[in-house]
Amino acid sequence: MTKGTVQNKDKFLNKIAKRLGRERRNSGVKLPEWAKLPQYEVFKDFSQDELMEQFINHCKNIHTSVKVTKKESLKETFHEAISDLGGKSIVYWNDDRFRYYGLTDALYEARAHHNIDVHCWNPQLGEENVKVAEKANIGITFADISLAESGTVVLFSNADKGRSVSLLPRTYLAIIPKSTLVPRMTQATEKIHKMASDLGRMPSCINFISGPSNSADIELRLVVGVHGPVQAIYIVIEDE
Amino acid sequence: MGIKTSNEKFFDRVEKGINDSFMRKAVVEAQGRLEGRKTQTTEELGNWEDWRDLAEEIRQHTLENLDYYLEQFVENVSNQGGHVFFAETAEEANEYITSVVKDKKAKNIIKSKSMVTEEIGMNGALEEIGCNVVESDLGEWILQLDDHDPPSHIVVPALHKNKEQIRDTFKVKRQYDKSSDPTELALFAREQLRKDFLAAEVGITGCNFAVAESGSITLVTNEGNARMSTTLPKTQITVMGMERIVPTWKELDILVSMLCRSAVGQKLTSYITGLTAAKEEGDVDGPEEFHVVIIDNGRSKILGTKFQSTLQCIRCAACINVCPVYRHVGGHSYGSIYPGPIGAVLTPLLEGYDDYKELPYASTLCAACTEACPVKIPLHELLIEHRKDIVEEAGKTSFAEKLAMKGYAFAMSNPGVYRIGSKAAPSVIGPIAKGGEGKGPGPVKLWTQIRDLPEPTGESFRKWFEGRDKKGDKS
Amino acid sequence: MKVSLFLTCLADVVYPASVGRSTVEILERLGCEVDFPKKQTCCGQPAFNSGFHKESREVAKHMIKTFESAEYVVSPSGSCTSMLHEYEKLFEDDLEWQVKAKELAKKSYELTQFIVDVLKIEDVGAEFNGNVTYHTSCHMTRLLGVKEAPMKLLENVKGLKFTELPFKQQCCGFGGTFSVKMVPISEQMVNEKVHHIEETEAEVLIGADLGCLMNIGGRIDRQGKSVKVMHIAEILNSRGEAG
Repeated sequence: MTKGTVQNKDKFLNKIAKRLGRERRNSGVKLPEWAKLPQYEVFKDFSQDELMEQFINHCKNIHTSVKVTKKESLKETFHEAISDLGGKSIVYWNDDRFRYYGLTDALYEARAHHNIDVHCWNPQLGEENVKVAEKANIGITFADISLAESGTVVLFSNADKGRSVSLLPRTYLAIIPKSTLVPRMTQATEKIHKMASDLGRMPSCINFISGPSNSADIELRLVVGVHGPVQAIYIVIEDE
Repeated sequence: MGIKTSNEKFFDRVEKGINDSFMRKAVVEAQGRLEGRKTQTTEELGNWEDWRDLAEEIRQHTLENLDYYLEQFVENVSNQGGHVFFAETAEEANEYITSVVKDKKAKNIIKSKSMVTEEIGMNGALEEIGCNVVESDLGEWILQLDDHDPPSHIVVPALHKNKEQIRDTFKVKRQYDKSSDPTELALFAREQLRKDFLAAEVGITGCNFAVAESGSITLVTNEGNARMSTTLPKTQITVMGMERIVPTWKELDILVSMLCRSAVGQKLTSYITGLTAAKEEGDVDGPEEFHVVIIDNGRSKILGTKFQSTLQCIRCAACINVCPVYRHVGGHSYGSIYPGPIGAVLTPLLEGYDDYKELPYASTLCAACTEACPVKIPLHELLIEHRKDIVEEAGKTSFAEKLAMKGYAFAMSNPGVYRIGSKAAPSVIGPIAKGGEGKGPGPVKLWTQIRDLPEPTGESFRKWFEGRDKKGDKS
Repeated sequence: MKVSLFLTCLADVVYPASVGRSTVEILERLGCEVDFPKKQTCCGQPAFNSGFHKESREVAKHMIKTFESAEYVVSPSGSCTSMLHEYEKLFEDDLEWQVKAKELAKKSYELTQFIVDVLKIEDVGAEFNGNVTYHTSCHMTRLLGVKEAPMKLLENVKGLKFTELPFKQQCCGFGGTFSVKMVPISEQMVNEKVHHIEETEAEVLIGADLGCLMNIGGRIDRQGKSVKVMHIAEILNSRGEAG
C-alpha cells in the first residue's frame, strides 16, 4: 500500500511539546496502571445464560425485539422474523455462518416460496451491491461480538461483509450466536486492541450497532428510524 | 460561521433569551429529560465516581503526552494510505479541505455533525468554491434549512425550535405538505437526505475520538448519518480537534461509555463506528480516499496552563444540561457555538476576552457543572480563574469594582473598620429594605431592583452576646 | 468541647441576632462551650469569587489569625465554611500560610455538619409546628459535600411537616456578586425557586445559608408573598413555636 501524505507534522507537534514545557516525545511513553478499573465490574462472572437475560432485557429499551431459538428451530424463527419485517427483499453478507447454521437453505426457500428477492453481498458485482442494498427491505448480518449491557451487535466489515447491509435497507436483522455474548464494550475493545497490536491492520470499518436508528432532535421526542434502518430484530441462537 | 454566533451585546442576547418563552420551556424540559436519563444510567453502575476518576486519568495522561499519541496516530493513518494534514488555524484547515474537494472536482458534500467544522467555518469556505454542503444530522439540517440559524446546544443543536417552526421551515424551503408530527418530519428528512447521501462525492465528518494505536477514528451517533456519510461517498474527510485522541481501544471503551451516558443517558448510542483509513482493497463500500485534518485553532494556547483540563472535554453537554443559568437564558445568549459552562470557560480561551468578558461571570458558581462533568473538569473553578485573569491581567474590570474590592479587603482585614461599617449598615439598609426598588448605594441599588433586603430590626448578635456575657446568663 | 463561632458577615451585619443566637444556644445545649472571637469579619468569598485573589488573601490571613487558637470553628453557613476550605489554594505559593490554612480547614465545620459528624447527635430536641420545605444550598452540598446532616436533624424535629422542594438541586440565583452583576438572570432563577417553594405549600422555607435566604426571602417579600424564611439554626433552636 502506498503511504499517505502527512503535512505540517513537526511544526505542529513541536509547538505542543513546547507548550507542555518539555522536549518532543517520540518514544518511551507507557500507559499508566490506572488506579481504578470499574469496567470489569459490570456483569462480572455472569454465565452465558445470565448475559443473555441482560441482553434481552436491555433490548426492550432500544426498540428491538429479540427471538431466542435453538439451532434446530432457527429456520422457522428466521422465516418468522423475515415476515415480521415485511419480507419483500433481502440483502445479506457473504458469510460462512449462514451456511453453517442452515440459513442459506432458509434464504433459498424465501426466494422460491415467498417470492422474496434475495441478494448475497458479492464483491465481484461492485457498486451493484450498494444499489441493491439501498432498495432492499431487509439487511441481514451475523454478529461478530455481542454486548449484553447495551444490546449491541459488533460487526467487522470486509469485502464480503459490506457496510451497507446493516445500514441502507429499511429494516435490519442480526443473527447472534449466544457464544458471541460478552458483558460489555470492554471485552469487545479488548479483542480489537489485540487485533491492532497483533495484526497491525484492522477491519476498515467496525460498527457497534444497538437497535434501529433514531433521533430526538425535534423537541426531544424520540423518533425511531432516521437515516439507518427504521426497525431491527435480533435472533439469538442458543449454540452452546 | 466560526465560534462567534452574534454581534449583539451580551445583555441584549440575554434579554432575548429570557423573553423567548418557547425556548425556555424547551430547555427546562430538555434539561429534565437529559439529566434524568443521565442520572439513571450513571447511578445504576453503582460506581460512577470510579468511572469518572478513570476517565479523568485517561484524559490527563493523553494530554500530557499529546504529541506522542498524535504522532502514533498519524503514523498509523498514513501507513494505511490515509492522508493527514495538521492545521494550526481555521484558514489552513479550510484551505486544505477545499483543495481536496477541488482536486476531486466534487460539488456535493454530505456532512455529519461536527462542532469543530462549525468552529472553523468550513461550510462557508466550501460554499464559496461553489459546493453544495448538506448537513445530515437532523438537528443541524433543520438549522441549515432555516437560513443557518446557529446551534443552541452542542448535542441537540435545534433545541430552541418547536415542531411547528420546523414544519414551516420544511414547507417554505422544501415544499413539505404534511403535519408537524416529529415522526413525519423525520421521515421527510430521511427521504430528502437519502438523495443527498447518494449524490455526495465527499463525506465530511467530525471525530468523537481518534485511536492512536490503530489510526482509527470513531463516530458516535443515533441517526446513522455518520455511517451514511462514510459509506457512500468516494472521499472521506475527517476533521478533528487535536485533543480528541485516546491511546488504545481500551481507553476508547471508557470514554465512549462516558460520552453516551453523560450526553443522552444511553449505555451506547445506536451507532458507534470505528473507521480505519480508507476501505481495503476488494471492499465494495466505504471511501477510496481518506483524509484527516487535525486542528489546533487556539487549543495549544491552553496546553501547559491552569486551563489545560478544559481540553479534557468530550463534548457531552452534561454541564449544559444541569446549568441553571443556561436553563433561563438558552444557548444563543452565550454568543458562541459552545454554550453553557464549558462554553463560558472555553470560548474566552479560544477567542479572547474582548467579545466574551461577561461569560465567566454568567455563573453563580453553583458547581452543578463540575459535579456533572464525566471527565472531572473543575468548571466552576476555571470560571473563577478567568475572573482572576480578567482582574489581574486583562485589566477589564471597572475602576469602581477595583476600588470596591480594595475597600472590601481593607475593611475585612481591619476589624475596627469592619465594625464601623457594620454599625452603619442598619441606617443604610433601614429606609430601603422594603420596596426600595433600585435605591441605595452601588450594589444595594442593583440588589433592590428585584428584591427587598432583610429589615434590620432587633438587636445585633454582638450586642446580644456581649450583654449575655455581662449578665453571665449562659443557659 | 470548645467551639469558636464564625458568625459570617451576613449574620453579623445584615441580619439581627436570631441566627447567631440560635447557633450559640443549640451548641451550648449540646454541651459545647462557645466563644465568639470579636475580630472576625468575612470569609473573603466576595473577593475570591470575583477573581480578586490578592485581596482575598488579606482577608484570609486575618481570619486565620482570628481563629488560630480555636479548637473547632463552627459556622451557620455551608458556603462560608466551604470558603474556609478554599484558603489552602489561595496560598499555593506561600507554604507558611498554606500550612495555617490547612489547619483552619481541618477544624472548620458548618453547624449541622458539626452536630451530626462531630457531636454525633441527630436529635437536638427541637419542636417546630408548621409546614416547611428546605432549600439545599449549592456550596454546602457540592463544595463542602454536606448533604445528609441537615436532613437528619430536621427529620427529628417534632411537629415539622416536611415537603421536599421540587428541583431542590437548582441554584436559587444568589451567587454572591452574581446577584448584582447579572440581575436579569438572577431574577429568573429566583423566580423559579420561589415558584417551586409555593408548589410545596410550605409556610416556612428553611435554609442553611443566609446568602440564599436573603435572595429568596428578598424576592418573596418583593412579590408580597407570605412564605416565611428561616435559618435551620432557628428551627433547631425552636421549642414548640409555630411557623
